[in-house]
Amino acid sequence: MVAILEKRRLRDFDWVLTLLAVVISLFGTWMIYNAQPDAGYWKKQLIGLGVSAVVMLAVAFTDYRKLVHIAPAFYAFGLVLLVVVLIPGIGLKINGQRCWIGVPGLGQFQPSEFMKIPTVLMLARYFGRPRGSVLTVRETIVGLGILILPVGLIMLEPDAGQAITYFPLLAVVLFLSSVRMWLVIAALVLGTASIPAAWVVGVKTGAIKPYQQERINVILDPENADRRGFGYHTWQSILTVGKGGLWGSEQKGAASQSQLKFLPEPHTDFIFAVTAENTGFAGCLLLLLAYAVLLTKLIHGARRAPDRTGMLVIMAIVGGLAFQIFINVGMALGLLPVIGVPLPLMSAGLSAILSTSVAIGFAISIRLRRFVN
Amino acid sequence: MKFEDETQNLKGRMAIINALVIALLVVLGARLYFLQVVRGDYYAERAENQRIRRLRIPAPRGAIFDRNGKLLVDSRSTYNVLLAGEDMKGKDWNVLIEPLSDGLGLDPGLLRERFDEAKRQPAFEEVTVKEGATPADIAWVEAHSLELPMLLVREQPQRRYPSNGTLAHVLGYVGEISPEQLKQPRFKDPDVNPFVRDNPYRPGDIIGQEGLESTYDRYLRGRDGYREVEVDSRGRIQRDLSLVPPQPGQDLVTTIDLDLQLTAEEQLRNSPNKRGVIVAMDPQSGEILALASYPTFDPNLFSQRIGTPEGRREANALLRDPLTPLFNRAIRGRYPPGSTWKILMATAGLQQGAITIKNSNLVCGGGITIGNKFTRCMGSHGSPPLRLAIKKSCDAYFYRLGLKMGIGGIMQMVDEFDLNKRTGVDLPHELVSWTPSPEFKARFNPRDKEWRDIDTVYASFGQVYDFVTPLSMLRAQVAVANGGRLYVPHLLKEARAVAGAGPFPERPRQTFDHPDPKRLDIPVDQHDLVVDGMWAVVNEDGTGTAARIAGFDVAGKTGTAQVVGLGKDTGKNKDHSWFVSYAPAKKPEIAMIALIENVGFGGKFAAPAVHNIYQTYLAKAHPDLAPAQAPTVAQSAQHQ
Repeated sequence: MVAILEKRRLRDFDWVLTLLAVVISLFGTWMIYNAQPDAGYWKKQLIGLGVSAVVMLAVAFTDYRKLVHIAPAFYAFGLVLLVVVLIPGIGLKINGQRCWIGVPGLGQFQPSEFMKIPTVLMLARYFGRPRGSVLTVRETIVGLGILILPVGLIMLEPDAGQAITYFPLLAVVLFLSSVRMWLVIAALVLGTASIPAAWVVGVKTGAIKPYQQERINVILDPENADRRGFGYHTWQSILTVGKGGLWGSEQKGAASQSQLKFLPEPHTDFIFAVTAENTGFAGCLLLLLAYAVLLTKLIHGARRAPDRTGMLVIMAIVGGLAFQIFINVGMALGLLPVIGVPLPLMSAGLSAILSTSVAIGFAISIRLRRFVN
Repeated sequence: MKFEDETQNLKGRMAIINALVIALLVVLGARLYFLQVVRGDYYAERAENQRIRRLRIPAPRGAIFDRNGKLLVDSRSTYNVLLAGEDMKGKDWNVLIEPLSDGLGLDPGLLRERFDEAKRQPAFEEVTVKEGATPADIAWVEAHSLELPMLLVREQPQRRYPSNGTLAHVLGYVGEISPEQLKQPRFKDPDVNPFVRDNPYRPGDIIGQEGLESTYDRYLRGRDGYREVEVDSRGRIQRDLSLVPPQPGQDLVTTIDLDLQLTAEEQLRNSPNKRGVIVAMDPQSGEILALASYPTFDPNLFSQRIGTPEGRREANALLRDPLTPLFNRAIRGRYPPGSTWKILMATAGLQQGAITIKNSNLVCGGGITIGNKFTRCMGSHGSPPLRLAIKKSCDAYFYRLGLKMGIGGIMQMVDEFDLNKRTGVDLPHELVSWTPSPEFKARFNPRDKEWRDIDTVYASFGQVYDFVTPLSMLRAQVAVANGGRLYVPHLLKEARAVAGAGPFPERPRQTFDHPDPKRLDIPVDQHDLVVDGMWAVVNEDGTGTAARIAGFDVAGKTGTAQVVGLGKDTGKNKDHSWFVSYAPAKKPEIAMIALIENVGFGGKFAAPAVHNIYQTYLAKAHPDLAPAQAPTVAQSAQHQ
């Protein structure tokens, strides 16, 4: 019995997904090295990858249903951490945000990054029951409640970048929980229309302050906006990306934008710009393709999940990853304002790589149990 | 799927999510294509521009020497501590005052003043915190680069001029080119100044603003080199990419003899009012050996301290000084020449035939009556010949000579001696003398425009209608001394060649570019008579015996120029004391003019000054004659 199980496990283990994740994260480590060879972030990242691989396997070979079952405990524990991080003395304040907990000997970790997993599990647990009707108002309120607790605490840090990455989790879950299609379309239309309207009204009434307008101008016209102030990050990122050209810039290494410190945060938020400078359009396109395959593969796995809960877990993860990729790369390409969201599997940071690995571990675990009932 | 339900098309919804994910990635890919492939070259260039900086290496400016190779002006490297305005945008300046005044030993009040001034300017880039920083200051700035990253140390070649204002009016000074100057053809148009083609002027350039520094800026200026470096986002240099060393400017050798110059300045410094001009010239070439104008100023003020509020205050005080120390009196001062004018009158009178060598006697009579007005002579000389009239400076003789020549003759003389033109000396801002003519009177005295005989009388002894610059007067006198060659006075002996370097071609040797002297037709016998009269002024019982030197036949003429009407010649309205001179009389080697302002009689002040300069000259050129001796009877008799 054990032997049969083991054999099937190996057969159903998602090798492609795992390999893709490993390749992207190794590629990311190489870019972290390119960004700042002397800073040692790439070594830390390699250690992080080792730890993450172990954790991913551990999650993959654990029955996700057991974990979903005890999700409320995780969720509660996560909330406690989000409260603890706010306590001065325990939470470390970096750049005006108190979102890190220092762990002696291990460095520091970011509870808001890990909290995504219990939140996904809680949402999947609640919305995972077989559906008998369209989405009710009560369900929506409960879903919002699950989301609002961690998001509210994160906003207190304050870390708006992390906070907004929680919303796609709920959006995907609601979308797959029989929310009426006309409601979705109406919300989209209304949302799209309200942005310019709010802009015009906001500027006229003075509700949107000049410095806030400036931030939007940076996106609309980065070249003529305040390139030394608000627009600095966006402009330098655009330069770095553009400089990469088709095959990568000839001015690499010591002459690169990141090593001359023109590009800020090159190993974390702007790792994509580093990739663009070093590998050019060719490398970036391959990376985006890898993400596309990874996400499609996850969705494919979701279709074959043994139950609705498993499907929702994977799809929420897809939503979260896709959103983060779009926000991060969009920021690096000057399409979106600067928001501190890491690029999954690429950005340096133990918390980010670990939480992404756990998420992928869940996806593997769910696929492993596709014939088990 | 095991969990399809009746309430929704789950498969379809998942497909929508999948499509949405792919669509977002496609949007990113399209943007990437635009940035990297379509606009890649543009951004690459922009990135290069912020990475690579070209730092100018200022070329050392040529040094300036005297005719014997004594150094007059050079440049040395100094270091300034600056504050980068870019880094100070929107920051509180006051927090810097205490650390800076402590660390660099500056007065906090002064620092505050500089900051306030900088903040008032709309677009300042840098504020000078300290000039002439010491090695200790530089070390302090470097040690505090983390706390005070806005501080910079910049090398600045600085001009060093002689102290005490020696030669200030000749050398001039350097200063930053002004925005107005940059628009002038001289600094822009290659047709006007061919040197700008290879070596254009840029904002911030240090150029000659006055004196020889200005006239010969094109030779003195070097060609800046540059260093191409890679910088990081804070402008810190990461590594060198290329280096083009600067080509130094050409050294100037002037015609000035520093020993004569120092003696000349000493004479003015020791004069009662410490005001006046002395110019010494080589009468065989027009080379200026000494040019002193007092009061003087310190050119180092303009080359070194003008960037500071204290320096500007000092400069403003100089500009407003009623004694006009900035003013080169030799070329910008217009003075009535007094009796020195008589030499030119005598020469022209003979030339024009108003008097002859055989019969040069004119009545003195103690004065002259024109209409009902009597104009007196200072003495009573009977009916003297020209030689005696010069020796005794008989005014009435020259009144009558003037009347014989007429205003037309006097104007012809003025024109012959170029007194109505610039001398063409190689210094900027030379003024033209005012000389007698009916037009000048009409302008000068509009109530009584008509030219009368009395006006001719005034014009003939160097008063009222004659206002000459000392240099133009000396030039005319030199033409009398050398027999009629009117040289262009000049200060440049040569600009030394500079070898080619890197991209810069060789710069050849240059000399003073002047036309041949204008030749006046002065017959030898007429010339000899005038010279003999001037010799007698000094060596017989003339008015200029104070200039006498045994064995060195000094010729000269005193002048006492009325500043205001007769009888009011006291205090600051005292007469100017003149002396023009050359020696040896028959074969002149050196000519001089001295003007001591508002002290009185020419023989008493200007002649001894000239005497002392001759002593210095003799000590160098004829050491055997140097010790001052009383003239022997034999020598005097020889010239009788």
